[in-house]
Amino acid sequence: MREFTLRELVRFNGQDGRPAYVAYQGKVYDLTGSFLWRGGRHQVLHRAGQDLTRTLGQAPHGPELLEKFPVVGTLKGGEDAEDDRGEP
Amino acid sequence: MAKVAREMVERAGVDVDTLVELLIKNAAAELTTYYYYTILRVNLIGLQGESLKEIAEVARIEDRNHFEALVPRIYELGGKLPQDMVEFHNLSACPPARLPEDPSDVMAILRVLVEAERCAVRGYTHICNLTAGKDHRTYDLALAILNEEIEHESWFSEFLGEGPSGHFMRRGETSPFVSKFLR
Repeated sequence: MREFTLRELVRFNGQDGRPAYVAYQGKVYDLTGSFLWRGGRHQVLHRAGQDLTRTLGQAPHGPELLEKFPVVGTLKGGEDAEDDRGEP
Repeated sequence: MAKVAREMVERAGVDVDTLVELLIKNAAAELTTYYYYTILRVNLIGLQGESLKEIAEVARIEDRNHFEALVPRIYELGGKLPQDMVEFHNLSACPPARLPEDPSDVMAILRVLVEAERCAVRGYTHICNLTAGKDHRTYDLALAILNEEIEHESWFSEFLGEGPSGHFMRRGETSPFVSKFLR
């Protein structure tokens, strides 16, 4: 399984035909097929290509919704990697 | 646009453009759900389906009411609806509540209904969280809609056998929480 750095993850932002990947607790999920992540954006505020580990705690849902999607890799830095600050 | 009303929200620290975009996406979800629920309701037939038809109809009408209630707030805050209906449909905050492949599968229809309501509950919780203590009018509206969406979810969830919610069907008029925004 592929290991992503945050710098590599940023490229998978769901824009211009690229896949939409997000990281959560060290796993990288492919959300390209999600209606709610079309164009790499989710609920206006969130962007694909980022680590949502901290952000998800403030969302009105838990990680169970992410777990419906395929895991395509792991995030280098483990389960306590960065939050989703910084635009792709 | 309600200029001062928008300024008050901005000064409270809310990114109004982001909020307006969220309101538009949720208004799109309400109107498209109204449309898709029409098709679901039509297909709720037979012994199983008929027992669901009335609450599906109430949820359908209330979702349309939510759309009607959201629109003035969007314009008050300086937003506007897209001119193009297709564009409006495609920016919906929730996936289309499409009729399942087998329209006679009432349980599959029920799962579509409950997932649609759950998406709405998450969406309005999100808006309430963004506006609480900052944008009182949007918060009041989103909370009113949230109250109704939670009841819709409960009705459908009970039919799926997920456990009791303590709610009854509507007795009397629809939209007991949102109707104050429709007068």
